Amino acid sequence: MRLLPRNAAATADAILFAGDDLLRKSESEMRRIRGRRIAMIFQDPMTSLNPVLTVGEQIAEAVRLHFGASRSEARNRAVEMLEKVRVPEARQRLDEYPHQFSGGMRQRVMIAMALSCGPELLIADEPTTALDVTIQAQILELMNEIQRETGTAIILITHDLGVVAEVCANVLVMYGGNLVEYGTATQIFEAPRMPYTQGLLASLPRLDKRDRTRLVPIKGQPPNLLNLPAGCAFAPRCAYRMPICDEPVALYDFGGGHVARCVLYDDAAATQRPIEVETVPLAKKS
Amino acid sequence: MTPSTAGAQTPLVEVQDLYKYFPVRAGLFSRHIADVHAVDGVNLRIKAGETLGLVGESGSGKTTIGRLILNLVRPTKGAIFFRGRNITNLRRREVRALRREMQIIFQDPYASLNPRMTVGEIVGEPLRIHGIARGAAVARRVDELIRLVGLRSYHVNRYPHEFSGGQRQRVGIARALAVNPTFIVLDEPVSALDVSIQAQVINLLEDLQEQLGLTYLFIAHDLSVIRHISNRVAVMYVGKIVEVAPRDELYENPLHPYTQSLLSAIPIPEPAVEARRKRIVLTGDIPSPVHPPSGCRFHTRCPVAYDRCIKEEPALLHYGNGHFAACHLVEEQSGRAPSLIEGPIVVPAS
Repeated sequence: MRLLPRNAAATADAILFAGDDLLRKSESEMRRIRGRRIAMIFQDPMTSLNPVLTVGEQIAEAVRLHFGASRSEARNRAVEMLEKVRVPEARQRLDEYPHQFSGGMRQRVMIAMALSCGPELLIADEPTTALDVTIQAQILELMNEIQRETGTAIILITHDLGVVAEVCANVLVMYGGNLVEYGTATQIFEAPRMPYTQGLLASLPRLDKRDRTRLVPIKGQPPNLLNLPAGCAFAPRCAYRMPICDEPVALYDFGGGHVARCVLYDDAAATQRPIEVETVPLAKKS
Repeated sequence: MTPSTAGAQTPLVEVQDLYKYFPVRAGLFSRHIADVHAVDGVNLRIKAGETLGLVGESGSGKTTIGRLILNLVRPTKGAIFFRGRNITNLRRREVRALRREMQIIFQDPYASLNPRMTVGEIVGEPLRIHGIARGAAVARRVDELIRLVGLRSYHVNRYPHEFSGGQRQRVGIARALAVNPTFIVLDEPVSALDVSIQAQVINLLEDLQEQLGLTYLFIAHDLSVIRHISNRVAVMYVGKIVEVAPRDELYENPLHPYTQSLLSAIPIPEPAVEARRKRIVLTGDIPSPVHPPSGCRFHTRCPVAYDRCIKEEPALLHYGNGHFAACHLVEEQSGRAPSLIEGPIVVPAS
């Protein structure tokens, strides 16, 4: 989306969207993409909605901007969108302000805004994290239905592995700023390769487990992004750590699109013995 | 029979017909215009040595119950007993004495630790306040506590900001344990932590319970964590308890339509299981506790509600094996759960 402040330097070779490099776009070209072709929804709908504009004005704004629609056309589109995200009494609620909506309803408004221009890609950043579970179920169901109807691609950013299992086809696991594993949901959940992915799944208490077995936590703390190790960022917490892990690690291919960044699957690793995992150094006295 | 009379031995904590209303004020003269019905007639008992899980969504009143038991807020009506003694509306000095027996651990370990005190001072403060230790004995006890919760001795001279979330929660636990309490209210103790850190803290809490013989009231919205840690579970909805049961009974045979919906709403981190599951998706929002619905509070969202549910409030009735539920339909079907979907709500893991 190119929304990060200037001090964040994107060092990618290219960010391709429908074959076009977004890094080479001018700011005005980006403005025509943002909201229209790529839309985004955020975790906290209250802080991402403008409190002094009515919900209708906010949904209509994007339509007017991108399609030059008239006031009344845009208003009709806003009603249509609110109905699509199943806000009851959409026409009346159009003139209400965000604070008059509940958390779940606000997230519906956000989704209505994001979808108002028919984007090809929707980036949803923890869209249900701030919601109660019965409301989360409503929103996830809505996102599934909308994807079926409109064919919009969705990038769902979340820490909740249950939500991933429920809605995602493919999963990309990140750790310390890097892709560590990628595959279909079935590959990731049933045959995870990276010890971090394995550790995450083992550390979760399960709703459907009767036996009260002990949880297996991942040792240590998440890495400090100011001071990442040169090799595998997970190595300091990994039970299989070997000397070779301190060197940069390539992605290994497991077939069927499943890749993982872990030296365990390198032939060179066969000759190395795991080293004793030390406890992670704690934050330094400042 | 109500939950307060089931079973023979005296419970460690007992809550009888407890109410807490918070006034809503508005206007120039702060006129009292309404009340938030945070806790609206709750009966509960917690046995010594057990973990009672208390679950509910926003505004269900679960946190207020924890605070009422600790005398952090005063009830509008009702009584709280600890070891059979009435501890409702104690005087200040008595409250202080009570805090040696019961402690609380909060959700956000950063907001609940004084940033200008070292960890040693934070953990040592209750020892001084309660006159438990003085001088060198404080340092010895602090060191013991710090190591008990899995931190290192050298951590005593550090400040909260130097720790990660999980370590800060350990400091909060050490502070709560300083006075050697028997009962601890854990209010969403792992909700603010990274997934990979949650398990560390849950294991620690389990170890401490076993070593020190603690009794927990574990308040959380995460039903997976609750299943893992609790012996019994109570489910709240808008100020009321709608169901109480032993852990596996609640998860495998939920009676109340709200409990069923809640359990079915939780995604399970296994795509194959998720694909086989049917989900009850409730319509509408959680009602405001300022104007709770008439009759059964769940009737506005309940897929099987009928006229009786709108008029009459259901009582929390016992259906055997310590399983209580407040639902007219369950009562009319003599303890059989209404079936909202085909098949089990939670497919047991293979």
